[in-house]
Amino acid sequence: MAHEIVMPRVDMDLATGRMGAWRAAEGAHVVKGETLFEIETDKAAMEVDAPASGVLRFVAASEGDVLPVGSCIGWVVAEGEDFVPPVTSPRAALATPDSSARADVEENDAVYADAAVGLRATPAARRAARERGLRLADVKGSGPKGRIQARDLEQCAVGEPRMLSVNREWLRRGEGAPIVFIHGLCADLNGWRPLFRLLPETRPALAIDLPGHGLSPLGEEASFDALVDAARSVMIEEGATSAHLVGHSLGGAVAAVLSQAPGVKALSLMLIAPAGLGEETNPAFFDGFLQADDEAALTPWLNLLVTDPASLGSALAPATLRQRTELPLVAAQRRLTKALLANGRQTIDIRDCLAAPRMPVKVVFGLEDRITPAHHAENLSGLVALHRFAKIGHMPHLEARREMARLIVELAGAGAA
Amino acid sequence: MGARELSYAEAIREALAIALAGDERVFLMGEDIGVYGGAFQVTGDLVDRFGEERVMDTPISELGGAGVAVGAALTGMLPVYEFQFSDFSMLAMEQIVNQAAKLRYMLGGAVQVPVVFRMPTGSGLGGAAQHSQSIEAWYAHVPGLKVVEPSTPEDVKGMLLAAINDPDPVIVFEHKLLYKMKGPVPEGRYETPLDKAAIRREGRDLTIVATGVMAHRALEAAESLANEGIGAEVIDLRSLRPIDKPAIIESVKKTARLLAVYEGVKTLGIGAEVSAIVAESEAFDYLEAPILRLGGVEAPIPYSPVLEKVAVPQVDDIVASARRLARGQV
Amino acid sequence: MTSHASTPRVSASRPKVYDRLTPDAVLDALRRMHRIRRFEEAAEESYIRGLSYGTMHLSIGQEATAVGVCVPLTDADCITSTHRGHGHCIAKGAELTPMFAEFLGREGGYCKGRGGSMHIADPARGNLGANGIVGGGLPIAVGAALSAKKRRTGAVAVAFFGDGANNEGAFHEALNLASIWRLPVVFVCENNQYAMSMAISRSTAVANVADRAIAYGMPGVVVDGNNFAAVAEASFAATERARAGEGPTLIEAKTYRTRGHSRSDRNRYRTREEIEAWKALDPIARFETEIVALGIGSPARVAEIAAEVEKEMEDAVAAASASPWPSVAEVARDVYSPAGTRV
Repeated sequence: MAHEIVMPRVDMDLATGRMGAWRAAEGAHVVKGETLFEIETDKAAMEVDAPASGVLRFVAASEGDVLPVGSCIGWVVAEGEDFVPPVTSPRAALATPDSSARADVEENDAVYADAAVGLRATPAARRAARERGLRLADVKGSGPKGRIQARDLEQCAVGEPRMLSVNREWLRRGEGAPIVFIHGLCADLNGWRPLFRLLPETRPALAIDLPGHGLSPLGEEASFDALVDAARSVMIEEGATSAHLVGHSLGGAVAAVLSQAPGVKALSLMLIAPAGLGEETNPAFFDGFLQADDEAALTPWLNLLVTDPASLGSALAPATLRQRTELPLVAAQRRLTKALLANGRQTIDIRDCLAAPRMPVKVVFGLEDRITPAHHAENLSGLVALHRFAKIGHMPHLEARREMARLIVELAGAGAA
Repeated sequence: MGARELSYAEAIREALAIALAGDERVFLMGEDIGVYGGAFQVTGDLVDRFGEERVMDTPISELGGAGVAVGAALTGMLPVYEFQFSDFSMLAMEQIVNQAAKLRYMLGGAVQVPVVFRMPTGSGLGGAAQHSQSIEAWYAHVPGLKVVEPSTPEDVKGMLLAAINDPDPVIVFEHKLLYKMKGPVPEGRYETPLDKAAIRREGRDLTIVATGVMAHRALEAAESLANEGIGAEVIDLRSLRPIDKPAIIESVKKTARLLAVYEGVKTLGIGAEVSAIVAESEAFDYLEAPILRLGGVEAPIPYSPVLEKVAVPQVDDIVASARRLARGQV
Repeated sequence: MTSHASTPRVSASRPKVYDRLTPDAVLDALRRMHRIRRFEEAAEESYIRGLSYGTMHLSIGQEATAVGVCVPLTDADCITSTHRGHGHCIAKGAELTPMFAEFLGREGGYCKGRGGSMHIADPARGNLGANGIVGGGLPIAVGAALSAKKRRTGAVAVAFFGDGANNEGAFHEALNLASIWRLPVVFVCENNQYAMSMAISRSTAVANVADRAIAYGMPGVVVDGNNFAAVAEASFAATERARAGEGPTLIEAKTYRTRGHSRSDRNRYRTREEIEAWKALDPIARFETEIVALGIGSPARVAEIAAEVEKEMEDAVAAASASPWPSVAEVARDVYSPAGTRV
């Protein structure tokens, strides 16, 4: 009878074997127990003996071949035997049971939603905030290292509609009057970071997410006045009522109105491509920007903001889209856009605020601005310094950030406090 | 029935006597437990009352002796093996951990190993490095063993009787400093569960979880803290495998602060497990401060009394840590 | 490296042990030896083809020791075994299907797949288990003997161990305890000349393991481990001594394993010639020759037994392979006794 020769498993953890040298050839007579071939392993070559005496036939592996354990390598056939090796279906490997069902282990179901970075708060405080819909960012911590403790939340007035609150971030804390950054329509406070990194490391800086943008929810009132109120509340809460104001686009208009608001002492005013100086704008941009739901659709609109698309960086489009999936921004911004643009034209007018400024004011435009045209900057008061950048679009604080940084420093110095 | 006072050692002796009298299958093994009465005078006169067949002196042969206990337990007997010091059990770890703990599982549930290993543990008597260790965590780490550390005479009697009647291997740690401590002990036979902690004192300001002699130090500390207006809840863990998780979790949910106190080396000790239990439980959401641990120093137990004292937590250490925790200074 | 191979000899005179065994008992012993041989070969085949898991330690060539020692034992007597314990298990009466199923890690195995090759046990038949720790079973067997003495059951315990174990502390402690307490235990050393790769001549301070018996106050007996009659004779003597309350005995059976320590063994520590020389002393062949020569069984009967076992093993492999895998949800079952159970 014929005896099958298989690739043997020689070590517990091996599923394959590497053929070494053959000691007998196809057709050779072999004796039971004599070495037929070797297997190469990490430790040493291992000899494999003939399982029976007879003729070596149907050799199916050569030196150097790597074969699964259990594979047929050949047969030892009896002398004169008329033998045909059976057709074997692919060998079922060591049948392992479905191990996808793991034995149950203890469940760990703590989920923490508040992702405020750099905030110290005890687990108990976080839970209380979650349960009561309070923002930890609004609470002052009384624990070690400023840690917010549960009792600190107890002191948050209960019943006051603090369900909605305005997100703000101190980009830097320090001594002296801060710079307050207010972004434009459909943007958020993160847009200031590239510029902020270029500012010298002394002056404190506070950035705000306007309602309906970034991490700030939009309340019932979707109006320009609501935006101004929100910004003002933040400045009051943060003790930053005496500040240098920097606003971009819609944020510029907010900053201009803020500079006249009671309780606010604007030490200087920097308006970058501000809204409110003319009626024209680019309503198609806002529609298209808010409607885009993938990078291919969004990118052309983003590119409209600048003259050199490279200056936007590759992360902006995906980050913008991701943000939309996590936060109800599109709906909020549609409401605002509708309120602020009637028939596709700007409804805000800030010229009065700039008629007789009592603090240093700079207005900056890029000449290639396709959202708020640069010619809006005409006929401003002589006390307003106008800076116009050629080959720059709607985002001078991005495309000409070094120059902007210098201008901000100059302005803050001029309005020294 | 009035509870008279017995020492911890006397309570153990009483438990052993009740077990020996109540079941022929029970017998004791250990070094010098017969006529000598045991290194800590625990077995005392048991050999006179029950004879040398029931109270067997062994040679100094921990591995062999422990294995004999395992074999006897496998085949119908109820041996109670005394190690003279927990440190010496290391010579028998093969039989305790590789055999006793695993036989039931490896054999698919076909056998039981109802053996009890008793071990004096801990420092404070000048025994130095090789006679003073607290290795509870080593054994509590092993599935298949049950591990307890009673800290009162009442508990050691009840838990030992429960251990002897338990079908699985049980290790009973007895802190050496407790042997002479007196306390009320009910008469007759009773059993104390092997899987429940005991709340020794209620409080609202922090939870102290302690084992062995540390449970007593924690109570002393709690007295002192009460004078400062700090209410410490003291949990005497008693059961190390399994640990009474619900008791700890419920307590921390109430107090929001946790201090674990244990004699074993701090790193990777029982208190580390207690901390993790809380951190991964619903009690996490109630914490108002980091979890603190007080444990043994990262060194072998020293000989010199001034060093031996600071090598493990003392009452003052517990008071200081508890105070920082309760006052939000941490 | 030469070994201690004695010249094969079929005794011209009839070994006395056959006076106490019926022909059926002798043929049953032969059947068990064949079962061991076939089981080991089937296990090996399975392993080579990658159909089983882990490793295994084969006792091919040591069948006479296992079966010869167990002949005087009943289900009330206990054995403890080694990592090379398939033979002891079968000799003590285990069935092939649950043994093979355990080897394959299935729920139908003796240990429900939790123990595997090294921990096969059959407590109902007095097999307290193979043991993965060298020397682990020695004190346990002494404990079983202590238990038997205390309960006055008249049972004996047999501790199988290898030459490698005789240098473990547990060996010395166990023999000493068995002796000072005069316990009904028989220590059986299967001296197959090598621990893993270390020859006993290099590892052990005395020429024979049995020489150590005197240090522990008990008789030490050397037998040809490949001679069924010699082993059985020694086992009867030792178990009778134990049952009579006279204490323990140390039997050293000189034998040989023709396979490596485990499958990873490259056999670099011994020569082919040595292996071949011992193969010529195959215990099953010798036993068959003796059975026929003494007229206890005919050649046809003897061959028939071999063929029956062949079939039995094939069926067992098939049945074991069909046994279900353990449920992963039950990975921690039987770590402890069910809650609320008491002794």
